[in-house]
Amino acid sequence: MKKTLLTGTAMLCLAAPAFADELNIYYWSDSIAPELIEKFEAETGATVNLDGFNSNEDALTKLQAGASGYDIVTPSQHFVKIMIDEGLLEDIDAKDLAAYGAVDERWKGQWWDPENDYSIPMAYGTAGFAVNRDLYDGPVDSWSVYFEPPESLQGKIASLSYPDEVVGAAELYLGVPFCSEDKSEMKKVYDLLMAQKPFVAAYSSDNIENRLGSGEVAAHFWWDGNVLRTRDAGANLEYAMPKEGLVGWLDSYVVPKGAANVELAKKFIEFMSTEENATIQYNYYAHSAPVKIDESQAKYTPENAPELFPTVPVQFSKACSPAAQDLVTKVWTDLLQ
Amino acid sequence: MNMKALKTFRFWGLAPTWLLMGLTLIIPIGIVAGVSLGDRGPYGGFDWALNFSSYREILFTMGWTDELEFDPKYLAIIGRTLAYGLATTAICMALSVPVAYVIANARENWKPLLVYLVTLPFWVSMIVRVYAWLIILGNEGLAEKAWKLLGGGDVDTFLFTPGAMLTGMVYSYIPLMVLPVYAAIEKLDPALLEASHDLYGNRWTTLRRVILPLTWPGLSAGAILVFVPAIGTVLEPMLLGGGKQMMMGTLIQTQFGGGRNWPFGAAVAMVLMALVVIVLILNARRAASAGKEAAA
Repeated sequence: MKKTLLTGTAMLCLAAPAFADELNIYYWSDSIAPELIEKFEAETGATVNLDGFNSNEDALTKLQAGASGYDIVTPSQHFVKIMIDEGLLEDIDAKDLAAYGAVDERWKGQWWDPENDYSIPMAYGTAGFAVNRDLYDGPVDSWSVYFEPPESLQGKIASLSYPDEVVGAAELYLGVPFCSEDKSEMKKVYDLLMAQKPFVAAYSSDNIENRLGSGEVAAHFWWDGNVLRTRDAGANLEYAMPKEGLVGWLDSYVVPKGAANVELAKKFIEFMSTEENATIQYNYYAHSAPVKIDESQAKYTPENAPELFPTVPVQFSKACSPAAQDLVTKVWTDLLQ
Repeated sequence: MNMKALKTFRFWGLAPTWLLMGLTLIIPIGIVAGVSLGDRGPYGGFDWALNFSSYREILFTMGWTDELEFDPKYLAIIGRTLAYGLATTAICMALSVPVAYVIANARENWKPLLVYLVTLPFWVSMIVRVYAWLIILGNEGLAEKAWKLLGGGDVDTFLFTPGAMLTGMVYSYIPLMVLPVYAAIEKLDPALLEASHDLYGNRWTTLRRVILPLTWPGLSAGAILVFVPAIGTVLEPMLLGGGKQMMMGTLIQTQFGGGRNWPFGAAVAMVLMALVVIVLILNARRAASAGKEAAA
């Protein structure tokens, strides 16, 4: 009898809804300052659970699979658009939040969330490539260095494990528009990547700091702020400014449909967007802040952080049509078959 | 207990097992099979349907010139996966027989410790153990130092090569081979070896006619325990192989992720499962016929 009682209690516990003061965040790995998480927990008494992803695709797949259990996700602009179109996000009336007032005008009413219903920007930046200056001393002013590497870089470059921004960069280099549905144009992208493949050591989005910082490879496809942080930590890196341009991204806080704790999620977004906290976040994350920060406290300036202030055109990734996306996937599976 | 009561008891006694199997095994596989026949959603996801195009896609794809053409690329991935799985199994077998032999012949009070050491890696997360190989095989890593110490020439890197990937796979799965092989060798009666020698069997004959048949159940169990996870592996190809060559595991992952083609990913998963089932059936038939022989 006692046993039945115990089992009964255990089942009741399992069946009970998630604790009201738990916030589950699915974010780019290590993208939020730990001290802010602690501060938020102290201020609200809530428990924050963090779970990291390394690609927008992972985030999208998890939300599509349903009942992800997350209250906040931080995808990039083109995935925000897809998630909204697919009905995966909660309408949080973002424009009524105090955080919205802090957002820079240039990020309001953008194509991915024209009515500002679903998202509050978190960080923005670019995707390009970086070189380890201990290993390579040539020029980095063009994507040709990366896609058609000189002999000193052959076998010493690494790419990402997902096509998203890599294909975008190849398109910039070739002058092919993003999300092209033209097979002959995408064939050119494929040919370029295929010709590059013999010189690529790895296609991997994990552990990039180590691979490039330790000199395992001499050039790596990467993001601006990550290069900055690793360079600040002592690695001799340079973020390339290719004349063909960089691939732009902007990550936003969004709330998945059916999230258990929408109010707490909104509270967290407000919390992260105050001037004081946004500054702490900027100094930690080292990617540009799309909300107002305290410039006098900002750690990174054009002088010490050239990565964040590109001198070449920046083109933001778009949400491709299914037909265009199929071509991107075809390029990638044919490349790695 | 009369017949009817016995039947009822059997039914209810086994019901929890059936329930568990149904909920955790059969229903999920059914869902995967269902997804593989579905219509793909434009941005991932799927709609229920009865559509075999995902299976057709394994053999025929739209080429760059808009024609449906026979495309061996997925067959190549399946073949490569099988080849790596077989190689892993063969290497594990070759390495684990001597290891198991040493453990089986160790002093009695050492045996538990040695067996415990074999299982020790399982207490650490697989991902951490594979990452450790990144350090061992990486620049200036243990492998490079040892290679140079042994007089090997200049090496660029051991990482991101098929060899690195195979090393990782053998390392990950070898305990699964050592344990059953050990159990089989442990049970081997030394008197039988002596008898074989007494009957003028030389070492080779003894191995072939006595040792192998008697340890075969352990070897085949180990082979299956290694081969099955090895053909589904994702971590080693991605981390140690550098993700340059797709395996079935990575192909499935890509299709559910970046490729946004869940039905196709599910179809590949079904093919992978079919391969596993074929291996299990072959083994079961073998075991059955061996049992018959022994009885006869």
